[in-house]
Amino acid sequence: MHILRRDKKEEEEGGGNPFHNLEKTTVLQEARTFNETPINPRKCAHTLTKVLYLINQGEQIGTTEATEAFFAMTKLFQSKDATLRRLVYLGIKEMSKIAQDVIIVTSSLMKDMTGKEDQFRGPAIRALCSITDNTMLQSIERYMKQAIVDKNHAVSSAALVSSLHLSKGSHEVTKRWVNEAQEAVSNDNVMVQYHALGLLYHIRKHDKLAVTKLVAKFSKQSLKSPYAYCLLIRIASKLIEEEGAGSDSPMFEFIEGCLRHKSEIVIYEAAQAMVNMKETTAKELAPAVSVLQLFCSSPKPTLRFAAVRTLNKVAMKHPAAVTACNLDLENLITDQNRSIATLAITTLLKTGSESSVDRLMKQISSFMTEISDEFKIVVVQAIQSLCLKFPRKHSVMMNFLSQMLRDEGGFEYKKAIVDSVITIIEENPEAKEAGLAHLCEFIEDCEHAVLATRILHLLGREGPRTPTPSKYIRFIYNRVILENAAVRAAAVTALAKFGAHCEELLNSCIVLLLRCLLDTDDEVRDRATFYVDTLKEKQKALNSAYILNGLQVSVIGLERALHQYTLEPSEKPFDMKTVPLASQPITEQRVQAVREPGETTAPKATDKVAASRQDVYAEQLARIPEFANLGALFKSSTPVELTESETEYVVRCVKHTFPHYIVFQFDCTNTLNDQVLENASVHLEPSDGFEVIKYLPCPKLSYDTPGTTYTLVRMPDEATQVTGTFSCTLKFVVKDCDPNTGEPDEEGYEDEYVLEDVEASVADHVQKVMKPNFGASWEEVGPEFEVEDTYSLSTMKTLEEAVTNIIQCMGMQPCERSDKVPEGKNAHTLYLAGVYRGGHDALVRSKLAMSEAGITMQLTIRSTDQSVSEVLASAIS
Amino acid sequence: MGLFDGLARWLGIKKKEANVLVVGLDNSGKTTIINHFKSEEYKNHDIVPTIGFQVEKFKTKSLSFTAFDMSGQGRYRDLWQAYYRECHGVIFVIDSSDKLRIVVAKDELDALLKHPEVQRKRIPILFFANKMDLRDAVSSVKCSQLMELENIRDKAWHICASNAITGDGLDEGIQWLTDQLKDVLVKK
Ligand SMILES: Nc1nc2c(ncn2[C@@H]2O[C@H](COP(=O)(O)OP(=O)(O)O)[C@@H](O)[C@H]2O)c(=O)[nH]1
Ligand SMILES: [Mg+2]
Repeated sequence: MHILRRDKKEEEEGGGNPFHNLEKTTVLQEARTFNETPINPRKCAHTLTKVLYLINQGEQIGTTEATEAFFAMTKLFQSKDATLRRLVYLGIKEMSKIAQDVIIVTSSLMKDMTGKEDQFRGPAIRALCSITDNTMLQSIERYMKQAIVDKNHAVSSAALVSSLHLSKGSHEVTKRWVNEAQEAVSNDNVMVQYHALGLLYHIRKHDKLAVTKLVAKFSKQSLKSPYAYCLLIRIASKLIEEEGAGSDSPMFEFIEGCLRHKSEIVIYEAAQAMVNMKETTAKELAPAVSVLQLFCSSPKPTLRFAAVRTLNKVAMKHPAAVTACNLDLENLITDQNRSIATLAITTLLKTGSESSVDRLMKQISSFMTEISDEFKIVVVQAIQSLCLKFPRKHSVMMNFLSQMLRDEGGFEYKKAIVDSVITIIEENPEAKEAGLAHLCEFIEDCEHAVLATRILHLLGREGPRTPTPSKYIRFIYNRVILENAAVRAAAVTALAKFGAHCEELLNSCIVLLLRCLLDTDDEVRDRATFYVDTLKEKQKALNSAYILNGLQVSVIGLERALHQYTLEPSEKPFDMKTVPLASQPITEQRVQAVREPGETTAPKATDKVAASRQDVYAEQLARIPEFANLGALFKSSTPVELTESETEYVVRCVKHTFPHYIVFQFDCTNTLNDQVLENASVHLEPSDGFEVIKYLPCPKLSYDTPGTTYTLVRMPDEATQVTGTFSCTLKFVVKDCDPNTGEPDEEGYEDEYVLEDVEASVADHVQKVMKPNFGASWEEVGPEFEVEDTYSLSTMKTLEEAVTNIIQCMGMQPCERSDKVPEGKNAHTLYLAGVYRGGHDALVRSKLAMSEAGITMQLTIRSTDQSVSEVLASAIS
Repeated sequence: MGLFDGLARWLGIKKKEANVLVVGLDNSGKTTIINHFKSEEYKNHDIVPTIGFQVEKFKTKSLSFTAFDMSGQGRYRDLWQAYYRECHGVIFVIDSSDKLRIVVAKDELDALLKHPEVQRKRIPILFFANKMDLRDAVSSVKCSQLMELENIRDKAWHICASNAITGDGLDEGIQWLTDQLKDVLVKK
């Protein structure tokens, strides 16, 4: 059905598009006519359009072919036909990155950019900048400067925008054009002013002080161009974010003032900026919300859309601030534009009271079929947050979500629904059974293997622990019969988990798994064989280690270790303990992709699952010969700042724990542009038992170029002595730089700089590990080296606070979602899991009880080594 | 000129058009020479070294010229050949005061003559022994000896001493080329 429809659509598209059936080789063949004299402008224009069309469709053209077509195209410079010439400029831009020797057109373009034909000048500048490399920049510099201040607006704008693009390659040259850019900012043309401000900002953006001045200056001397205003607002809000400035800062005042600007686009930009600020309170937002409220009743659909979309965002953080607009939003529910209506309803869902939920849900279902997947996803997310807000409404919502699961929709949409159901199940135990039931039904007819495997994994983890695990078996086994190999393999694993966890199901699970031994797929067979043999042993410890909790190592690390093992054959069996563990993703670590002011496209998403941070460190350290025989890297800490942020030198420290050593990595940046540091290293004053073995200095720290120095420390032999404090001093040779040339002096002098202390804590010796089935692991490790004690936590006020602090002290992974303290409870148990340096499994159970006297904690630690249990216990006291 | 042009177009009379390729080492005076032929309105008063190439148009009494003024810098000389195929004639400019590099100019000329696209055509080649005003300039005769022009057998060629700045010798040369090209174009 889905596919059919698409075909039809393509057919329709093809009907209206004369270029629908273009073929690359034919078009390139046709491009040879550019060589003919005299030139036939109409014919050439048509062919060139085809070439451009193909390139824009993403057709790959080889270098040789592209170069041939490019050179043929250069001959069109002899034609004076305006249309053809302008197509040639476009062609040059498009081919500048794929053809060779494109600089051949430099002089021709320089002639056009300074020529009499105004129509040619702007496009020629843009084309010229796209073919110019750094070595050629000098020769066009004079012309670019002239063009920036040209009295023709199109020329000036083209030159400004092109300079901006050029400066991405070579900042040095464009920097010298600042006077011209300055002059262009005072141009009365709105576009020129905007582009000039963009260039000025770009030239100065690494100098925070200069940017601050820039905003201060232009926010007073009122700009004419609304676009320039919008850019200024973006720059100002970026500054606010970077400095963590509050609502009393002049930047904030400026943005707030823009809410009263006469241009709608500026007002909207200001409101949007305020809404997106991290630190604003609901009260500070009020003026922004009220202009958005006004926009809601604007006759222009774009304004209504922008307003409701932004209000939707506000509603996530400050639902109360948006309630004032409820009436306006209600009116938008019937808006002709379905996108506006959807956003209005989902906003209302976020801000509304529990009682309005049913009504809104009904309204939204009346037009679910009319909106696109993208907006359906918005609805799904609204429902999810609603469920979390009103847990009692979960059954209404779950029904709604399951209805959506049954309807048609693309992968992204289905994925959003499944994600939501899973989140709801995890947050609300009461919703678990209903949610699992809906998911079971969904996988009966699910075309997306990724989603099916994900759900099977969830069933394997959660199903065995529900009151009636047996009812899931049928759904899972059906997958074994009906699906492709990837899904079958996931189903086999899920079955095994039921067998491992529920004794009463063990025999029937084994029977079902035995049937899989004849599967056509290797992976499915292998898994079934492995599980059957393991289950037949009927040992709890085995079940926990190999079925319920599984492998904990980093996959990349495992690959590397195995590769190493095959390179150096040895008698000894491969030791799993030498493989680095999979570090749990640390959410705060994720770099938020920031969009530059004035940038039109968002940078590529950065959260692709690549090697983890730790794997990257492991690679880097492995390349340093001095660290070759330290053994496998066990853990890398998160970076700690050892300096205040605005100091001469900025130093951050990452601790890398090895079996018997700690490598302290210091990432240093020299923020003084008048000196160069050489031979920089960080000297440690170790506490008892620790011994500094080696310093690896950083040869040179130039201005604003980060460098790294390492200090290698040996840990004490005594197994329980693992923590300590180290005072640090950065030592180096300074060379002052000539203020004019930037050249450093021949001679330098020694100097040092005191840093903050670094701490080696218990957490540095423990790696977080997720045990999906904590109970099974607890039995697996057993009570042999158990340490138990009772503490009173007098300084903690709430259970949440206690939980957060314990997790941080121990540096272990909370399991079973026990890091979330249910509301209104005065007792809670926290489960932590990890692996201690040397490969010892370590588990912590912390029973917390709150009374009038404060919080008491019974802490039980189990591990596979006595001293490990003791060290872990010492973390708390 | 405007009136005649309009009238001529109206009558359907159009001048014959010829494409010429202007080559020679860098700094020999190619761009200056072309500039001389351009009408006052389009003349360029600030000639800078050419990067790549530039297309210029000019007219003589009986022909419309489209000249591809190529850059002579080493980096670009290999790119001349991309323009051999369509040209009806070649103007090869020699800096007659730069004795040291005349051998280089000769190498480039040989490469040009050997190129298949040039070999298969009977195209006229006009040489300008340019910068004749300079004190250490060699004569056009000496120049043609150094370039071994007498070895060119299958193509019409002609050498003129010239001064691109004053224009001396240029008109004579272009007249010769016009006569040659008229024959070629009429036969076509
Ligand atoms: N004295 C003198 N200088 C010339 C003559 N022709 C060109 N020049 C100069 O030689 C330099 C190079 O000329 P240009 O046309 O750019 O050479 P191209 O690289 O061959 O295009 C310029 O400074 C011209 O002014 C000439 O006949 N006599
Ligand atoms: Mg030139």
